[in-house]
Parts: sequence; C-alpha cells; structure tokens
Amino acid sequence: MKARMLAAGMVLPILAVTVTVAVSAAHAADFDWKKFQGKTINFLANNNPISQALLTHKADFEKLTGMTLKVDGYQEQQMRQRLVTVMNAHSDEVDVFMTLPSREGPQFAASGWYADLTPMTKNAVAGDYDYPGLSQALLKAATYDGKLTSMPMNIEGPVLYYRTDIFKKCGINEPKTIADVEAAAKKIKLCDPGITPFVSRGLKPALPYTFSNLLHNMGGSYMENGKSALCSPKDKQALETYSGLLRDYGPPGVVNYSFPQISALYRAGRAAMAFEASNELRTVMEGGERLKDTTLIPFPAGDGGQVPTAIGWGMAVSAYSKQPEAAWYFVQWATSPAVQKLLAVQGIAPPRSSVAKDPGYRKWIDEQPVRKEWQAALDVLAAKGSSEVGYPIVANPESREFIGQAVQDLILKQKTVDQACADADKALDALIAKK
Amino acid sequence: MSDAAVTLTKDRQKLELTALSAPAVLFTVGMIAFPVIYTVWLSFQSFSSTGQQSFAGVANYTRLVSDHEFWNGLWVTFALYVLSLVLQLFFGIWLALVLFHAKRLPGIVRSLFISPFMMPPVVAGMMWLVILDPSLGAANYILTSLGLPPSDWLASPTWVIPTIALIDTWQWAPYVALIVLGGLQSLPPSVYEAAQIDGASPFKTFQRITLPLLLPTIVTATILRSVDLLRFFDIIYITTQGGPGNASNTLNIYGFRVGFEFFNIGYAAALMLTLTAIVFGAVLAFNRLRNAVAW
Repeated sequence: MKARMLAAGMVLPILAVTVTVAVSAAHAADFDWKKFQGKTINFLANNNPISQALLTHKADFEKLTGMTLKVDGYQEQQMRQRLVTVMNAHSDEVDVFMTLPSREGPQFAASGWYADLTPMTKNAVAGDYDYPGLSQALLKAATYDGKLTSMPMNIEGPVLYYRTDIFKKCGINEPKTIADVEAAAKKIKLCDPGITPFVSRGLKPALPYTFSNLLHNMGGSYMENGKSALCSPKDKQALETYSGLLRDYGPPGVVNYSFPQISALYRAGRAAMAFEASNELRTVMEGGERLKDTTLIPFPAGDGGQVPTAIGWGMAVSAYSKQPEAAWYFVQWATSPAVQKLLAVQGIAPPRSSVAKDPGYRKWIDEQPVRKEWQAALDVLAAKGSSEVGYPIVANPESREFIGQAVQDLILKQKTVDQACADADKALDALIAKK
Repeated sequence: MSDAAVTLTKDRQKLELTALSAPAVLFTVGMIAFPVIYTVWLSFQSFSSTGQQSFAGVANYTRLVSDHEFWNGLWVTFALYVLSLVLQLFFGIWLALVLFHAKRLPGIVRSLFISPFMMPPVVAGMMWLVILDPSLGAANYILTSLGLPPSDWLASPTWVIPTIALIDTWQWAPYVALIVLGGLQSLPPSVYEAAQIDGASPFKTFQRITLPLLLPTIVTATILRSVDLLRFFDIIYITTQGGPGNASNTLNIYGFRVGFEFFNIGYAAALMLTLTAIVFGAVLAFNRLRNAVAW
C-alpha cells in the first residue's frame, strides 16, 4: 500500500507537469497571430525612448496580425493625466497602456484598472514567447494579489557615470563605497574647480528614484513597523549624505535637476560624476565625446551593501478594454524575445536573460567598452535590485513628494535634518494611515 | 394685410427663429454648464487612493482652511499675479508708446516686438529654462562676463517668483502693448492740438491727457491679463513644477498635482472652484473699475 502511495505520489506530479506542458504546447500550436485580424488596438504610450524604439516596428505588428495599432502618445505625466481621466470614466478608449509598476502599480491595481494577464500568459501564447525567460523579479513586482498586471518592457535603474580622465588627473581610484564617492567629490572640487564634482536628481518628485538607491545601500528603509522611518538614524544619515553631495558638490540650481539637465551637464563635460538612469546612456553618449572618458558602475555600497534600484516599464491591458484578448496579442508581440532583441540594439536594456545573451546583442555590446560596463551594471541591477522607489503604499506617488521635500529642505538649508525628517514623517504617517 | 395678420406672422417668425436656434443655444449652454456642475459635484465627493468614491459634504472645503499648502498656493498666486501685472502694464504701456511713435518700418517693428506672445508657452518655458540654467545657461554667462555674480534664477526660493514674472512679462507685455496701441490710435487728436497750443510738455501731455484717456483700455488689458495670471500654469509647470520646495506652487499647479498626480479628484475640484471664484471676483472688481473710468 505504502509503495503504491509512494509511486502515486511520484507519478502524479510528473503527470501534472507533463499534462501542463502538453496543454501549453497544444495552446502554443493552436496559436494564430491572425485571430483578431481587422481589429484596432488603442495604445496609450509614454513618449520615452522605449516606446519610440518599439513604434519603429509598428508596421511589423500590423503585418503579422492584420490588426491596426492606433497610438496615443504623450509625455509621462500627461500620459498619466489622460489615463486617470479615461479610467475614472470606465472608458474603453484605451486597450493597452504603459505603466511603471514601482510607482503607480499598487494604486492602479487597487483601483482595478489593470486586466489580469495571468490566464492570457497561460492560454494564449505563441510557441516562441518564452514566458519563463522574462525577469522574474520584474514579473513579481508587477503582481498584486496573485494577479499579473503588466509585462516588462525593459530593465533600468540609476547608475554612476564617472569621468576616468578627471579621476586619473586628480589621483582618484574607482569608488567602492559611498564614502569613496564623497571623498572623490571633495578631491575633485579642490583639484579641478571648474567642474561640477557630482550631480544627481534634486527635483522634488524626481529625486526618490536616485535617493532610494542610496538609502537602501546605507541600510535604511522607508518604513518600520508600519510607520514612516525617515527619522531613524540610517535614514537621517542617508538624507544628509544625499543632500550634502548635491549641496556641496552639485551644480548651482540642482533643486531643479532631473534627467534632462543631468544628462546635458555630463554630456557637455561639465560634471565628473553623474548618478542617473541607465537608460540615459544613449543621451549621455550623444556626440561621442563621453565615449572614451566614461566608466559606468552601479552606485557603490554602503553599510547595507549594494541594493540598486531596478525598475522597468510595463505594458498593461486596461480592465475596461472591450477586446482584452486582442490587446494581449499586442502586449505579447511587444514583449516577445524577437521584438526585445530589436529594441536591445537600440539601447533598451532587455528584461530577458536570453536576449541579453543573444549573439547579435552581445556583438552590439562588445562594440564599445562603455556598453560592456553598462550591461555589467544592469546584470547587478537584475540580480540584486530592489524596485522600492518611495513608500511601498498605495499612495506611492504622493509619498515621493514628501521625500523630495525633506531632501530639498536640506539642500537649501531651510531646515535641520531633525526638522526635515520629522515634518516628512508626520505627513507620511498620515498618508500611510489613509485608506 | 390686417394688423392682426401681421402680428401673427411676426409671432410665427419669432417662434420659428427660436425653434431653429434652440438646439445650438442648448448645446452651448450644456457645454458650459455641464463641466461646471460636474466639478461642483466632484468637490463634494471624497476619493480614496484607490479611486473609491463617497459623499464628503463640505469636508473638501473645510480642509482648505487647515491646508498649509493651500495658503502657500494662494500667497504664491497673488505674489506672482501682482508682480507680473505691474511689470506687464509698465512695459506694455512703454512699448505701446514706442510703437506708436515708430517712424521707420512701423510694420516690421510692430511684428518684431509683438512676436513673443505668439510663441507657445511651452516653447517659451523650455527656451527660458535653457537660458536660465545656472550652469549651462546664457544668462549667467552674460552676468559673469560683465563681472557680475551669477544667479540661481529658477532654482532659488527667493528669486523664483521674480524670475517667472520676468519670463511672463517677456511673453505678455507685447500683448498689453498691442491693446494699448489700439487705444492710443483711437484717441482724439484735437486734445493734443489744444495741449500743444497751451505749451504742455511731452511729459505733462502724457500725464494729464494720454494716461487718463487710456485708462479704460488699460483696465481692459488688466482684466485680460488678470484672468490669465491668476490661472498661471504652463510656464511654471515647464520650468519648476512648483519648486524649489513649494516656492512657486501656485493654486493651479497645486490643484493639478492633487488631482492628476495624487488622484484626489474631489479635493482638487474644491481647490479649482475656489480659484475660479477668485478669478470671478477679480474680473467683477475690474469691470466695476472699467465702468468708473469710462469716458
């Protein structure tokens, strides 16, 4: 009896896996790209480098599926504004939209704006889609209450770009720790007063993207026991370090700096270190002047080790779409290995290891040393990254406002660190308590 | 035709005209009324972070009283309004006088001077953002070349309001000038001839004749600019997004962020209706002034 049970216990899982694989294979074999021929998909896009690269292949999608893709493209904030209007009206005007799970994921999921993609990834996938090949960390970050809300389009995070020629001139080695970054900035200020030693985000709503990386590296966390923890010793230290780097070694007017200003300053050769998004590589290297004198690394470790911020844009199907299956075909095409290979050589870091290892992509990477360093940094982001940018609460976007305010208060010397963190904690605790 | 028949025909014509124009009138009224009524309704609703909606009574309005950001927004809105309006009226009137007396190529000179307000505000904002960049911008380059200290411009909590006011003045003073120029061209020449005979100096002529006669035109320009300035949004959003800190966070910017970034549509509606009431109040006050100075 025991032996029979053991045999059954061993056989049943194998049978289950075999059946699942067989069913999946059957679904894949049944898959027909032309199933929704003649339909029109409305895509609300953020007009960023990812969608720009993707939409250069729009005709391929239309040819493959016989569907028409209608694109409604806006800048990031305007796209969200349009989305909020459409979703609050429960309108089916948008079938597919771009989303940043690390920012609006909890909020949009709780509002019921995302269609659940889980059944689609099981029942309607082409044979070469390779769902398991997608970054599991990013898929997890886009899953709320067991529902998969978006498919990853890229992987990105802040990295440190620095000038090897200036480091060499000033006798500085590659920074290994946050203290090294501070020391390097101090030395550059004395050694080459004409250059900005360090630049990163100082604009209030934008800075949590880079600050979160430093906070986590220093061993800090946004919340402890359900309360805001910006006044904890590690968080206060992170606030002081980040604001100190920008105040003492950053460019004048850094409180208005986000990615366009940072990339422009570094590209113009006016900054020695820039802590900015990995997907700014193409912009930073425009003109080719920085190709030979730049090295790129994940932000150096602190007391908490190296916990880089790793996020990615995702593609979601609207819960109010009247044609979610057809919409899923577009999402599937856009996040397929074949398309992500095309995007990768346009500088969009792939959220798939198979694409990252693809010979065509490797050849593109090997063409320039800085691309190799970029990929190496992205590998660290993929392996160790945290997608926590701002507070892990539904009101995440609003929480970024208060983090930004605390940092700006310190940059502008308007408050002491104790005042700044206490004011922020008070506002953030109220936000956390809000349903 | 008898009188009764004429009256009947006239009544019928009236009825026909009313019936024909009714759909257009109803559509127009509906288009204006619906968004206003909807916004009023929204302002009595509470939206949770997840979009759950419930009736909130006057809670959104009572929250205004204790909201520090609202009072800061009100202060920033008024500071920017007063400074920009004064600068635009001063430079607008001055520019109008220059254009009025321009003898050479008046058409080209006028087109050149009024061109800034034809530029989309987003483009103007981007352009000034680049010019005023403290590190890479032309403004600080010029200042330092002249041996003057550089400024943080839009990044300084102290200077951000004057800087935005200057950008807006650059763009909209020509618009004020155009209105005032129209007023100048319509002034009766006889009073100037009389002043000349009496031996009035150019300054006295301006002070005693031109300015008083221009007052209704200036008030009209003030009303038009007041409506725009109290709702100031585009250039601030492009250049500072309300920062540094909250130093340029006008009511309009604050309301936008509350509604579209933090998804609190109910409170945003209350903020925007309060701003609308302020704009209406200002327009009514200036309209009374215009009637008082009409000649």
